[in-house]
Amino acid sequence: MLSKITGFALCGLEGVPVEVETDVNKGVVAYDLVGLPSASVKESKDRVESAIKNSAMYFPVNKITINLAPADIKKDGSHYDLPLAISILKASDQLTADTDGIVFLGELALDGALRPVTGIMPILISAKAKGYTRFIVPFANANEASYLEGTSVYALSSLRETVDFLTGEKQFKPVEYRDFAALRSERSYNYDLSLVRGQKVAKRALEIAVAGGHNILLAGPPGTGKTLLARCIPTIMPDMTFEEALEVTKIHSVSGELSEEGIVSLRPFRTPHHTATTVSLCGGGNVKIHAGEISKAHNGVLFLDELPEYTRRTLESLRQPLEDRIITVARAGGAITFPADFILCASMNPCPCGNYGSSYLTCTCTPAQIHKYRNKISGPLLDRIDLQVEVDGIKYEDLAGESNEESSASVKERVEKARAIQRERFKDESSSVKVNANMGEKQLKKYCRLSAECEEVLRAAFEALHLSARARARIIKVARTIADLTFSEEILPDHILEAASYRSYDSNNL
Amino acid sequence: MYTREEIDIITLCSFEELTYKTKYVLLDGLQSMRPDFVKFENMLIKSLSAGVYNKVKGRYFSEEYRKRILQSLEKRKIICVTYASPDYPEYLRQTPFPPITLYCKGNAKLLKTRCFSVVGSRVTAANVIKECKKISGELTRHFTVVTGMADGADSAAAEGALESGKIIGVLAYGFDFTYPAFNGELMKKVEEKGLLITEHTPQIAPKAYLFPVRNRIIAGLSEGTLVVSAGEKSGALITAEYAAEYGRHVFVFPYNIGVATGAGCNSLIKKGGLLTENILDIFSAFGLDFKEPEKEELTEAESELFALISAEGEIFVPEAAEKIGKMPFQLIPVLTSLEVKGLIVRLGGNRYAAV
Repeated sequence: MLSKITGFALCGLEGVPVEVETDVNKGVVAYDLVGLPSASVKESKDRVESAIKNSAMYFPVNKITINLAPADIKKDGSHYDLPLAISILKASDQLTADTDGIVFLGELALDGALRPVTGIMPILISAKAKGYTRFIVPFANANEASYLEGTSVYALSSLRETVDFLTGEKQFKPVEYRDFAALRSERSYNYDLSLVRGQKVAKRALEIAVAGGHNILLAGPPGTGKTLLARCIPTIMPDMTFEEALEVTKIHSVSGELSEEGIVSLRPFRTPHHTATTVSLCGGGNVKIHAGEISKAHNGVLFLDELPEYTRRTLESLRQPLEDRIITVARAGGAITFPADFILCASMNPCPCGNYGSSYLTCTCTPAQIHKYRNKISGPLLDRIDLQVEVDGIKYEDLAGESNEESSASVKERVEKARAIQRERFKDESSSVKVNANMGEKQLKKYCRLSAECEEVLRAAFEALHLSARARARIIKVARTIADLTFSEEILPDHILEAASYRSYDSNNL
Repeated sequence: MYTREEIDIITLCSFEELTYKTKYVLLDGLQSMRPDFVKFENMLIKSLSAGVYNKVKGRYFSEEYRKRILQSLEKRKIICVTYASPDYPEYLRQTPFPPITLYCKGNAKLLKTRCFSVVGSRVTAANVIKECKKISGELTRHFTVVTGMADGADSAAAEGALESGKIIGVLAYGFDFTYPAFNGELMKKVEEKGLLITEHTPQIAPKAYLFPVRNRIIAGLSEGTLVVSAGEKSGALITAEYAAEYGRHVFVFPYNIGVATGAGCNSLIKKGGLLTENILDIFSAFGLDFKEPEKEELTEAESELFALISAEGEIFVPEAAEKIGKMPFQLIPVLTSLEVKGLIVRLGGNRYAAV
């Protein structure tokens, strides 16, 4: 007998339908699995055999040939267990129910229970686009499957239940559709800008950075709240739309990092340690290509604490994705494109000892040491960081006592207004230009016309502050954002001057 | 072209085996300009060993060796000004142990101009750096600025004077080296527009002990020396001591009590250094005149903030905002504008100071 069951393979973030064809024939007892299965798929034989036996059915003692079609895609992961088991049961006539149009996904335990698998969300999204509407997934993946409208997903807990469901012996209701907006409004961040004492200059810079989607560098002595400030960035970003949340969820789902909730409702905040390798940051892998930290930070914030401590090679690898906002990881097995649209927030000390520029602590570094420390960050990378801001050193007295700090919510309101202006501005542009930071030369000419007075101010600033020539476009973009925050149509000299003040690490004077 | 006498000196100075003192003695305390190998033979054999002595003597009298030395200098575009040359700076000639040969790269004519040295510590506050740049720029009206090409104050002095081309950088090592390495670009500019000099042959690498010895040349070349910053043990103090010893004026920037980068400056003032606040203090000591350029016009917000900064000397942005009654981000454009106009400098950590 021959049976055909539909499963799904994952190529990056794309799901590809896989026909599981099983042929059970008389002959020498054998079990052949073909169609480029990886080790984890090959291993499934033992799980499937035990699961079938322990679900009060039998594993055929015949010549079994299974083909995973199309045979030219590598199959990896444990979610083929369920389609394999169902396919064997059908081929051995133990199950005669109709399985056409149903997609099976799930890993089997030896006792026949269904275990959760990774990548449900991207598979469901791709399958839905390809016309599949009925799915059987492990019960533990129910939440993840509940946000897609127009599908009937059955979350079952064992192989037995699956068989009973297919034969109609037991009835199950499809997973109930859940509204993302309702969930999002329930969730809140653990941090808030009102928790950060003082730091008015840095807070202002964060507001500009988020409003225009600019990357930001926080420089300051150790223990002054750089990390806390960075953690507050997601709290002042506009809420994610459902589409944005799905993009993020897809990546997190494939990486197996999805929480119980089944969808990423808050903007991601990723902090890879400075020992991170290029592959862990950008993505890679051999059989299965994994998304890196920059993709996991998609639509959110990538925070690199102690920037000069990262290896040069790792940092340089960020240059291209920072520009293109996607990363294509090419390996011998193929190339996969992951989205990587994030705000880069980096932090560093002003010098190795951390006290340079402090009003009350003495810096013990020699000028040569400071040069060396700052030179660890290459010009091209620094060039991609629009705002470089100094975090104030703080004394004990600054922390004691009460103070009234603005909350994230009110900053967010202003940010959302500035973003609305930008949406209106870029509505006719290609989808790659959403915020001021994305502007290319063409848009810069079109939307950031400078008056003669502004040109003069900018020229004077360049000369006096020893700015590098490539800072020009950055300053204008940031000035555009500052103008948006004040609802000014024109870029005014004050906006230029403020933007220029955020390039302090560009100028060569220490 | 060099005279026969000059070539003798250049050849003698090319011997790395001989110390300055040996060369000094060989020239009979610089009384004669012809090394006397006969008169000092015994002394040389004693201090050098017979083998080395014979080698040095052999090379000294070898025409081929002389030709090679001159060629190698020419290839490096090095001009030699020896004690025997008429171009040798008079002020330096008057000092007790002048360099026998000055290896020069750049505009050697600057050696005959009036010189004034500006020196300071490598660790110098940003506002002093700015002031140092300004004052060395102003000095070039009457003087050529002499400095040591180190990081910090020295570099600032060089940058300030660079535009006019009246700048002499005195190195403590041979021209085959660049120290500190990141100053390479500035040195190249000084070589193009001004002059770099050293008393060492190109092969001599930078060594810690060579720097204080070099400072005697900086002080010796100059009619006066300005110390812009100096810690308790700064090398700039050594330069100032030489200057005082040679009977030249020593000008010093004053510092606040407890500022580590200025402790040496204040002690110089106690010892009789001339307290210097601006270029007039220097020019008036030499009886020279100076006209100040016209001041930039300020807006209302700028003059309000500038008044505050001048009153306090140094401000912290959030504190200043509180005093003026504005949000810090409203001050930032004003501060940048003042910085652009050159009236204040950024000290780091969101602090600004007047200059």
